[in-house]
Amino acid sequence: MEIIKKIVQIEHKRWIIGSSLIALFLLLPIIFLFSNIFEIEQSSFVYLWKNLLLDYSFNTFYLIAITSLFALLFGIFPAWYVSNYKFKFRVFFDIALFLPLAIPTYIMAFTYSDLLSYTGPLQSYLRNNYPDFSNIFNNDYLQIEILGILLGLALYPYVYTASRVSFSLIGSTYINMSKNLGLSSTKLFFKVIIPLSKPAIFSGLFLVIMEVLNEYGAVKYFGVNTYTTGIFRAWFSMGNENTAIQLACLLIFLVFIILFIEKLSHKKSKFYYSANSKIEKLSTPTSNKYLYIYSLCSLPFILGFLIPFFYILNNSILNFKNIDFSRLFELSLNSIQVSTISTVLIIIIALLFLYVEKISKLKLSTFISQVTSLGYVIPGAVIGLGVILLFTKIPMLSSYSLVGSFYVLIYAYVFRFLAVGKSPIKSSLEKQPESFDDTAKTLGLGPFKILQKIHFPINRLALITAFIVTFVDLLKELPITLILRPFNFDTLATQTYEFAIEEMMVESSSYSLAIILIGSVMLVFLKYIINKQINAS
Amino acid sequence: MKRIVVFISMILVLSSCGEAPKKSNEINLYSQRHYKVDEQQYKVFEKETGIKVNVVKANADELIERLKNEGENSPADLFITVDAGKLQKAKDLDLLQKISSPIINQNVDVDLKDVNGYWIPITYRARIVVYSKDRGDVSELSTYDNLTDEKWRNKVLVRSSSNAYNQALLSSIIANTGEESASKWASKLVKNFARDPKGNDRDQVKAITAGQGDLAIVNSYYIGLLLSSENEEEIKAGNSVGVFFPNQGEDESGSHINVSGIGLAKNAPNKENAIKLMEFLTSESAQKTYTDTSYEYPANPNVEPNEIVKKWGSFKKDILDLNKLGVFRNKAIEIFDKSDWK
Repeated sequence: MEIIKKIVQIEHKRWIIGSSLIALFLLLPIIFLFSNIFEIEQSSFVYLWKNLLLDYSFNTFYLIAITSLFALLFGIFPAWYVSNYKFKFRVFFDIALFLPLAIPTYIMAFTYSDLLSYTGPLQSYLRNNYPDFSNIFNNDYLQIEILGILLGLALYPYVYTASRVSFSLIGSTYINMSKNLGLSSTKLFFKVIIPLSKPAIFSGLFLVIMEVLNEYGAVKYFGVNTYTTGIFRAWFSMGNENTAIQLACLLIFLVFIILFIEKLSHKKSKFYYSANSKIEKLSTPTSNKYLYIYSLCSLPFILGFLIPFFYILNNSILNFKNIDFSRLFELSLNSIQVSTISTVLIIIIALLFLYVEKISKLKLSTFISQVTSLGYVIPGAVIGLGVILLFTKIPMLSSYSLVGSFYVLIYAYVFRFLAVGKSPIKSSLEKQPESFDDTAKTLGLGPFKILQKIHFPINRLALITAFIVTFVDLLKELPITLILRPFNFDTLATQTYEFAIEEMMVESSSYSLAIILIGSVMLVFLKYIINKQINAS
Repeated sequence: MKRIVVFISMILVLSSCGEAPKKSNEINLYSQRHYKVDEQQYKVFEKETGIKVNVVKANADELIERLKNEGENSPADLFITVDAGKLQKAKDLDLLQKISSPIINQNVDVDLKDVNGYWIPITYRARIVVYSKDRGDVSELSTYDNLTDEKWRNKVLVRSSSNAYNQALLSSIIANTGEESASKWASKLVKNFARDPKGNDRDQVKAITAGQGDLAIVNSYYIGLLLSSENEEEIKAGNSVGVFFPNQGEDESGSHINVSGIGLAKNAPNKENAIKLMEFLTSESAQKTYTDTSYEYPANPNVEPNEIVKKWGSFKKDILDLNKLGVFRNKAIEIFDKSDWK
């Protein structure tokens, strides 16, 4: 009786129950997957332990370390310069530094390995013109370190954006105070700015690490065995589901550790941006500082965007007469269509979870909201398989033969990318004081009206940000699309990949160019919004 | 609330735009092949017969999972792979049915046929050895086993053991010489590697040209693709290596080959159309299209290989029951893992 009374007393029951049901529905494939085959089979574990685990772990951690290092280098310094100094092309760099996000990691890897290969333009040119000199560049570029740098180039914008926002909001109070205390600008940066921005930088880095853990195409091509390639190998090549699940558990465990570390770092440095103290005046750099600024701002942009972009553009021009424009148009439309529908759904669901988390103040709601973010850390193909199992093994669902329909494809997308859409909305919601809700409530507005009349408009920019980030990620999505797509359905990403793995870089170029262009347009627009946000707060 | 309802109905309308396969004059393929030549073939077939060809392209193992789980409701008629081992795996999981067609029977080479009749070959490829024309000496090459000789220390190039072609090669060695000897072969070969396995088959050839190794194990058609490339440097790379077919001696097994083949799905809803497509793909005209665009060997013995491929000469094939490539797959991967072939 007591319990029932308590339940009745809980506010917003309907919202909580509704969101819990949706969460359960989203989590079904994973629950199904794990309950279906999770029984610790000793032989497979021993096999894994004996032969592979050390190698997989070493590669995974080493790759994360290199990628993180370069993502931080390429992200933090330019972010600081752009936030704090006045220099020519500052606004341009602010947008340009964002663009590598439009290039999928596997395209980055394939493009550079083609560019640097023995038959690629660089080595060919040197060999034909400076034969004595050419041997210096004749190396094996398919190394884990090179892969780490390339992934760093493709992913640093996550760090850049996060630190850029944080640096701009830290505020002149801190900076002025430090300067009065006699700190040099280098010391100011390392002793004050970086520690204060740690949570923000870490949140960017977290996304980078997630992407590395999930990376498949580039990693396989470079011959680097990580947990993810291990899952594929165990499951698909050997048909050993147990080993695959064990590796997947390890992967998820690893992510929880990283999340835990992030929480710790948040706790240690509890710090709030004070509203009226953002950097008001950009400082003018000293003349030798210009050198650092220009080189550190242009390097990531040139390597991460300009070179691959022009190489792909050049390939498309060379191949111009063979481009099938109607197909290119069709695939672009396909990509845009599925990405848009899924993104809108993701935003609605994300908003629902976060809002219920906010109004209910129950631990349960927070937990549910966090668990549904799990999709982001599970390799796409594993989600795809879980979804197939779900829709074919449950008698109620299997009679409709839903696998291979757009519903199921979009369902899998939503689960996989919910976390991406959630994070900008979350940080925006957290900034708003409770008083908004309370005032609205006293005015007699119900939760739905509050959401519609207050949170929707206030968080408009965050919602658009979430939309674009999710959309660009979906545009690049590969493994889920491959395994769950309907008949005759290709996207720009699948077509690019099919050509690229056959090493037909020229043929793949027009499709990858389309991905990059659509992504870039969206990102430029996003940057415009973020800057508006920075200026408004 | 109204808006949400409108939005949801919008999604329903939009998502039903996709072409749902109906049981009409159609055929549904689950295919691992994603070459341009396949699209050309299907277009010609559609024109000739009026049967619409629907395709889902993905990794063979993932398609098998999809087939397996869809069970009786699966819309798939045909399962197309580039590895006989995967066809065997599908058959083993009871996903295929016997194919009986006198036309196909007549079209394809006896040596390449499935002894149980569950799948048919459309093309085949040999896993061969290429050597640097500058630094290698053909007379020193003989068998796959010979590659483990100490004289090739730090000179052999090959891609990763995750690759299905390498897995099939090792499976064939297990089938021919037994597990123990295959295991020795793998660990001795690893000692001769010029570098850690990486890249694809073409990269191995390029690495020879770049001087990173002297020998490479690759699939035959990649050399054809290099030699017909639009990039002059790739043609040069292709020309810098010689092609050698291993295991050609009288009492030797012949060079390892594998087929690209088609299985008929157990619950194929459009069985008749499916057989028509298989008959078409093994016909002389379609086989000619395959050999000329993808440089594979034709499964139809009446069709000659492409000119580039013909220049390498004919060779003795390893006519092992190709289902063994699937039977020994797991063993092969275990051996790879234990021998540290990355």
